[in-house]
Amino acid sequence: MAHITINQYLQQIYESIDNHDGSFCAELLSFKHPHVANPRLQLASPEEKCQQVLEPPYDEMVAAHLRCTYAVSNHDFVEAYKFQTIVVQSFLRAFQSHKEENWALPVMFAVTLDLRIFANNAEQQLQKKGKGQPSEMLEKAAEQLMSCFRVCASDNRAGIEDSKKWGMMFLSNQLFKIYFKINKLHLCKPLIRAIDSSNLKNDYSPAQKVTYKYYVGRKAMFDSDFKPAEEFLSFSFRHCHRSSQKNKRMILIYLLPVKMLLGHMPTHQLLRKYDLMQFADVTKAVSEGNLLLLNEALSKHETFFIRCGIFLILEKLKIITYRNLFKKVYMLLRTHQLPLDAFLVALKMMQVEDVDIDEVQCLLANLIYMGHIKGYISHQHQKLVVSKQNPFPPLSSVS
Amino acid sequence: MNSRRAPRYISHSQRWGASAGGEWRQRNLEQWRGQGKPQVREVEEVRPGQQGKENVPKGICQSMCPARELQERESQNRLHRFEILAGTARDRRPRGDALRAVKEYSRPAAGKDATNPTELRPPAVLLKTVCYLIDDIAASPRLHPWTEVYSFVFDRLRGVKQDMIIQRVSGSDCVAILERTVRFLIYASYRLCGEPLRLYDPRINDTHLQENLSWLLDCYASETGPHPNQEEFETLGLLYNLGSTRAIQHVIELPERLRSTPAITLALSINQAFLERNPVRLLRFAKKLNFLQSCALHRHLVTCRRDLLLIYSHGYSSRNCRFPLDRLSQLLALDASLTAQLCQVYGVEVNQDNHVVFSKAAFTEPEQGKLHCTLYHNIVAEKQKDLTIGNIIHGCA
Repeated sequence: MAHITINQYLQQIYESIDNHDGSFCAELLSFKHPHVANPRLQLASPEEKCQQVLEPPYDEMVAAHLRCTYAVSNHDFVEAYKFQTIVVQSFLRAFQSHKEENWALPVMFAVTLDLRIFANNAEQQLQKKGKGQPSEMLEKAAEQLMSCFRVCASDNRAGIEDSKKWGMMFLSNQLFKIYFKINKLHLCKPLIRAIDSSNLKNDYSPAQKVTYKYYVGRKAMFDSDFKPAEEFLSFSFRHCHRSSQKNKRMILIYLLPVKMLLGHMPTHQLLRKYDLMQFADVTKAVSEGNLLLLNEALSKHETFFIRCGIFLILEKLKIITYRNLFKKVYMLLRTHQLPLDAFLVALKMMQVEDVDIDEVQCLLANLIYMGHIKGYISHQHQKLVVSKQNPFPPLSSVS
Repeated sequence: MNSRRAPRYISHSQRWGASAGGEWRQRNLEQWRGQGKPQVREVEEVRPGQQGKENVPKGICQSMCPARELQERESQNRLHRFEILAGTARDRRPRGDALRAVKEYSRPAAGKDATNPTELRPPAVLLKTVCYLIDDIAASPRLHPWTEVYSFVFDRLRGVKQDMIIQRVSGSDCVAILERTVRFLIYASYRLCGEPLRLYDPRINDTHLQENLSWLLDCYASETGPHPNQEEFETLGLLYNLGSTRAIQHVIELPERLRSTPAITLALSINQAFLERNPVRLLRFAKKLNFLQSCALHRHLVTCRRDLLLIYSHGYSSRNCRFPLDRLSQLLALDASLTAQLCQVYGVEVNQDNHVVFSKAAFTEPEQGKLHCTLYHNIVAEKQKDLTIGNIIHGCA
């Protein structure tokens, strides 16, 4: 297979198209497959050969693919990206002419995946040379993917079996990857809406759903919708294949902060298993109500947290840390009328910058408002009066 | 009104850096290639954006207003009164003053050639135009009312921006222009707060402010400096967009030397207080801001004071508890009578002994138009002192 001749290769393509064998055809056009390393196929001008064997627009698609392998073998990703664009465009023309058929979906997956990857690599190459606008290539690739998405989404005539709509989630996932990379999260919204309103949304493959929910979860997190974020990310974590440890780790990076906000602290064991010890001190600090340690932990791993885009969410853990600290004060004093001074002392111990009694009152008022403390403040007596029953309701029951 | 929504020229507002990745793919490919040919062809030296560079229009118009436009508007009687030659205002057809007329913003439309070099002003002329708009119009003590000054300057600055976009201006002139535009719009957002909608629309002002601001921050990020004012504008950007995830993410990704400057540190603390819903701390820090920073923050002060009354209504909700009014007014940074007035707007009871009776049931959101932000401007106003508008917008404050 690896060293077949160009004629053999074209013959195989021809047959796969003729037999509507989408997965075989996809392999023959994918850069995951070893044929791309076959020097006999890396041709600078394969057009004529392709025209002899294949009908348009397949000839154009395959010729561009071969020129792409040539470009890749020269390590020229800008050129590779250019040809992969032609592959996708000519594929799309063929795909649109497949009325009420979807056998070519695997081909679409293969060529669009490679398109995104080459756009990425091309961009890096350009950046290294100091050329091109940042994220220009990725934006163009996203446009291409969008045109595929439109073809799939508008396939309303075919029955469920033959619908091109089965391609939507895969494309959304590719687009999410781009949008997250170029920081245009708002563009995710129409995609999510399209999938949400589709009747297939629960029937896509588990792998696609895992990726999809991962990104939708991160988007929800970015929008501060923590409850749905937790649901999406949990789904993703539960259904992620056990051998994909790296992916599970990636999911956890976002799932952990959301879980913590909702009061579920990860075990040491879990953190160790997934090599996420950066969270260990954060977890400890939050559950102990140790603001000082929390600040230390956040600044110690700041770079990691910022890079993952979770620094801001971890900062939100401060409110819970206050709650836990104040709960400790309550447990120590064992009374329902707690002097405000006691809280001030606790905050000063945690070296909260120039904190005073006014701020203590404000923090307490906010915790009461949020439902983290049941009680009220008496300004006359300078006391926090807490409920005799369950003055600090469990976190999971609050947010 | 809808048609006045700002056009999307370039995606400036969304371009906050992205990180690299995906090297695994290259490695994998190397493995497959095995004994493949080692020679590496040089990539063609063609830069996607650069091919077009020669076609970018370059303006040659040396005056603030192209001669053709001046003539046209003169004949159509469409000169603004700030542009009319002195002494001809009462004529049947007032004459335009070539030294005071400024190119209007005009909407791009089909069939209109916006790229004619004689109608485009080069960067240096654009900067001169902006300075004229600030010194002779915005800061002029003779021109009234300021709403009209604003609408004139706003429109002409928009025209300047359009010329910049068409010519793809970048570099120090671009930065200088954008900085002044942003300062002007921030100042206006405070000064004109509460004006009737037909004279000042905060939404439109906001849209333009955000566009100019993100373009400016983009310039800082993509062009090699020095950018002596970057700290100032990163701070203003964060204060103006307090609580916005995007804005904070942008700031925390700045290099450490910038992020740890006093101004940005203060802005980050204010932002943190906002996110933690700690209005007491927020208002306390707000006192340390300078005038323009206070203007930028000003639109969040309503929310902040509302938050304070809201959480206190819950925290102090007990029938026998009282909270002294003067204490509350200190927290809110308002005087006692305004505090009482604000309480009333939110349904919070103040009794005869000047004590506040908080109750979570009593707190209500005010009806639209009931709350007049301008009444509570003192915290910003007292910072202006003897700053002139010229100082503020040129940044010599």
